[in-house]
Amino acid sequence: MDLIEVTVCPPGTAIRLRPGEALLDGLRRHGYTHRHGCRRGGCGQCKVDVVSGDVGYDVPIAESVLSAEERAARTTLSCRAVGRSGPIVIALRDETLRCFFPWPAATQHQKTM
Amino acid sequence: MTVMRLGYVHIRVTDLEGARNHYSNTLGMSVVGEAPGYLYCKAWDEYDHHSVVLEEGGVGLVKLGYKVERSTDLDAYERACQQFGCQVERMSKGDNLAVGDGLRVTLPSEHTLELYHDIEYAGTETGNLNPDPEPRHPRGVSVPHLDHALVTTEDPELLERFFAECLDFRPAERLVTESANGELLGSWMFCGNSPHDIAFVKGPNGKLHHFAYHLEDWSKILRAGDIFAMDDVPVDIGPTRHGITRGTTIYFFDPSGNRNEVFAGGYTTYKDFPTITWTADQLTKGIFYIGREMKETFLSALT
Repeated sequence: MDLIEVTVCPPGTAIRLRPGEALLDGLRRHGYTHRHGCRRGGCGQCKVDVVSGDVGYDVPIAESVLSAEERAARTTLSCRAVGRSGPIVIALRDETLRCFFPWPAATQHQKTM
Repeated sequence: MTVMRLGYVHIRVTDLEGARNHYSNTLGMSVVGEAPGYLYCKAWDEYDHHSVVLEEGGVGLVKLGYKVERSTDLDAYERACQQFGCQVERMSKGDNLAVGDGLRVTLPSEHTLELYHDIEYAGTETGNLNPDPEPRHPRGVSVPHLDHALVTTEDPELLERFFAECLDFRPAERLVTESANGELLGSWMFCGNSPHDIAFVKGPNGKLHHFAYHLEDWSKILRAGDIFAMDDVPVDIGPTRHGITRGTTIYFFDPSGNRNEVFAGGYTTYKDFPTITWTADQLTKGIFYIGREMKETFLSALT
């Protein structure tokens, strides 16, 4: 399984995304979260900026939620975007990553050491 | 001359097959009509042809349909809405599947509201001759019927005045910035005997916050939550209770991100029901009575 490394700033936390897994889902699996609403690509509350790497969508996203201009500017819906090629760097907007469950991150950290 | 109830909600969905699975298998509605790009759904305890229309492409609200007591009342509603300053057009039988002539009103909040009386009669799943209390083989949450919708508007005062003056709705509960001469932030209005048939809070025009299904009681709310976990439905908040309307609730999202609610309880309203007031400093208790905390995206996640 080819995992894609994703770094989320701030604070610069790195996680590994599974194939077909949305950014937000990968973060949640690691015990992290950030501002989001419907988790189904309809409300636009989870918009982030892709700084490097590539993401894409496996489901249709409404133009009213994410316009062509926004896509061109690499604005991304964290709840629906899946990794296409990494490493990926994501910039959060006016927020920082929140840890809601520290154990998965601690476990992963030990594995990588 | 009365508006009786919310008859149908017509929404956009990005994924029609995902929506079919959600509204049919998870919520338990029946798909009663199909056209290319459209699904028409009915809940088991509803008599009319359908109550939810799913249109493929985009997200959010296309329109709300409210059923009026008599088709002969439509002329008077047309005059009242025009005099209020709303754009009104006549809709014809066949414009909506199974729905007869009616009015299409653009609200001050830019939402589209349709008024109609004639709609094909389908009957409930249990019938009305010696009926059983519920279907023998319920599917998913098995929602019995649509309950209400909540939309956002830049000008709650104006929209409240529209519903009161043109459609004879009454506010069961009002949310104001302060109790003396405060600004109106939201209103929960009824035309029947429930706490609300329409509600709106301050926000952008034209947006849907949620539409809700009635459930029998708190135990059915818990069971709905179990089904949402089984089917990986994103739950926004709940199960909990509202201070406003006294209802018990879970908010959740359909596969396109439109917010739904299951709602049980509340109280009975009458034409002489005195309006309840909530002040903004008690907002979190008013909306989520038990947790008394607002999720950061509860008022901003709209479709």
